[in-house]
Amino acid sequence: MADEATPVGTATETEAQESARPAPEEELPGTELERSEAAAPAPAAAQVPMLPGEVRPHPSPQRYVMIAAILVVATAAEVGLYYLEGEIPDGLIIVLLLMFAVIKFTLVASWYMHLRTDKPIFRRFFVIGIIAAISLYLIVLTTLHVFSR
Amino acid sequence: MDQVAIPPGHDVAEHRHEEPRTGTGVSNTKLAMWLFLSSDCLFFGAFISAYLFYRGRPQPGPHPADVYNIPFTSVTSFILLMSSLTMVLALAAIIRGDYRRLRIWLLATALFGATFIGGQIFEFTEFYRQGLTLDKNLFGSSFFVLTGLHGAHVTAGIIWLLSLWGLATQGRLTSRDSERVEIAGLYWHFVDVVWIVIFTVVYLIPK
Repeated sequence: MADEATPVGTATETEAQESARPAPEEELPGTELERSEAAAPAPAAAQVPMLPGEVRPHPSPQRYVMIAAILVVATAAEVGLYYLEGEIPDGLIIVLLLMFAVIKFTLVASWYMHLRTDKPIFRRFFVIGIIAAISLYLIVLTTLHVFSR
Repeated sequence: MDQVAIPPGHDVAEHRHEEPRTGTGVSNTKLAMWLFLSSDCLFFGAFISAYLFYRGRPQPGPHPADVYNIPFTSVTSFILLMSSLTMVLALAAIIRGDYRRLRIWLLATALFGATFIGGQIFEFTEFYRQGLTLDKNLFGSSFFVLTGLHGAHVTAGIIWLLSLWGLATQGRLTSRDSERVEIAGLYWHFVDVVWIVIFTVVYLIPK
């Protein structure tokens, strides 16, 4: 049953595959499990087809974990900067905090939201929204003298 | 770049995803979600701007420095970040046809989200005990409205994830439906990136 799919190459799965296959005319050497493993294609050779709208395949789960590690380090650095208030200039803290926020935002949007691998139309829509929001509110806040207080 | 492989024993045809036959050549659902997220940038931008506008104005206490508990909020932010990882792992699982992991990661994402909301409720309660209410001062109004709206988005995401998890447990979510998980994931990651901005601008930037 599709719902009860189990991870790579379990005995039950490969045995089920073997039983579904027509009986060979000549019995090959080795156990049933060994024969089915030999007949199965190498995992790297069978790539998952891309999702609709993708121009490149999704990254691997290992890559996702690596991105998460970078996000955690960036968050830790941000919190560390918060506690440096008064020891280094506020302007520098603000610049560094915004830099870390931009890095985290970009990592999540490009890797987890797959803007790197999807068709550019999605990226364009999102970037237009962000630029519109930043431009609009920067103009409003500047007009209201928020940054010159 | 590393690629996701189909485990042996899984039907390749089951993983086949056809390109949508639409006017734009891309899935209408996915395009609609990106348009919604794009417009949501303006929505959250309005409330972040309102917070920045009122911040630092002379007003009666309590002030942000009196109530913020940065270590606690850092932990809840970390939890929300990790929920983005579990969400993307759920998508990778459904693409591979690994439905057991799909269920695990979807449930983990919903639980991380629920923990974040629990933390937010605790934080709001603490602020209330310290005298900060919605109508106490401009900081209270802009803070509660901004973070409360974000919390409402997270709550909607949790409900969405739980409904997907329910479908997955009944076997009604297969590799052919991976776009449904992807769309939910887009929404969830967006909620995460909005929090990245709120955490930096509202909590961490010096007053």
